[in-house]
Amino acid sequence: MGVVLDSLPGVAGVLPGGAGVLARVDDLINWSRKSSLWPMTFGLACCAIEMMGAYANRFDFDRMGVIPRPSPRQADLIIIAGTVVKKMADPIIQVYKQMPEPKFVISYGSCSNCGGPYYDSYSVVKGVDKIIPVDIYVAGCPPRPEALQFGLMQLQKKIESMKLSKGGGAVPLQEKGARDFG
Amino acid sequence: MTTKNLDKEALQAKFAEKFPKAEAIGEPAEGAAPTNLKGYLTMKLAASSDIIPVLRWLKDDLGFSYLDMATAIDWKGPVELDGYIREPNPNVFLPDGATPQVAQPLPHKTVNYRDAFELVYLVSNLEARLKVCLKFDIPRDGGSVETAIPVHRGADWREREIFDLFGITFTGHPNLIKILTPDFLIGHPLRKDYKHIKDRFDD
Repeated sequence: MGVVLDSLPGVAGVLPGGAGVLARVDDLINWSRKSSLWPMTFGLACCAIEMMGAYANRFDFDRMGVIPRPSPRQADLIIIAGTVVKKMADPIIQVYKQMPEPKFVISYGSCSNCGGPYYDSYSVVKGVDKIIPVDIYVAGCPPRPEALQFGLMQLQKKIESMKLSKGGGAVPLQEKGARDFG
Repeated sequence: MTTKNLDKEALQAKFAEKFPKAEAIGEPAEGAAPTNLKGYLTMKLAASSDIIPVLRWLKDDLGFSYLDMATAIDWKGPVELDGYIREPNPNVFLPDGATPQVAQPLPHKTVNYRDAFELVYLVSNLEARLKVCLKFDIPRDGGSVETAIPVHRGADWREREIFDLFGITFTGHPNLIKILTPDFLIGHPLRKDYKHIKDRFDD
């Protein structure tokens, strides 16, 4: 991505016919990123049912450019919808590392936020942010599809604040915890 | 031999004839916790060595060809109920102006705590629409049961699950390894004396 983006301002200036759009590169890149967030198809528990409801026609995630992808290599967003058990923790890290940069994580529901009702369990990870960095937390048990849509709009706002000069979110800023682009 | 007309009473009579030491568990006494499976014949076997002959007899002679469930119960006790059972709060949806009520504690039923694991098998006869629940005790320390795989092939994963969560071994099982818990988890989590050892995902 680096070569194209670095030379983009120059290319835009010498477009043939003078037909060009003058925009900040950050705005252009962030606009395209936030308008086509492709999440990975990934559901762990009952929260995934609400996530499916958000994809379906009543709430219609498609109109926001959100199209579920069957492979982590084609996705730039993963919605952790459900309880993260310790046996699933390693596959989640593996899937997360397979996603291309820049990648974003939405923690959906109480279980993936903090363990939720299974906080005292021997088998549950107390929050997915113990293993991967999280951009947006959506609270609820399970949250309504509207909450997921609001969370996605918050993520879009967060993407608007990304800057190419700071790496554009294209490098992993941290291994785990709540992520802030700063 | 068709078993279509078999019913609960006839089955119990056949049990009394074939396995006289097995006793039927009836409805619980007043104030006691139930140990029978409601609506089904529940038989307490005399010894753990009875289970394979009983399952074989039920399958071959009486048509109980489907193993619904195999599980175990840890009866170690008594259990301190505080914190496990929450008393109902009658004042949650109190209308305006009503006087708050004092919560009545739940009646605590007497439970037959003992130092034993109880194995539970539920087999069903799909033709006669009949189920029978088989129970027997084994000691908590080093208890083992003969595997039911030669009779019911589907017992394979059920027995692995019991082994994984309770630590009960099944002699003759071809592949008795963990099935649910991750490899790094030490111990058998559904035992009441289970102590969790912190792993790399705990704080």
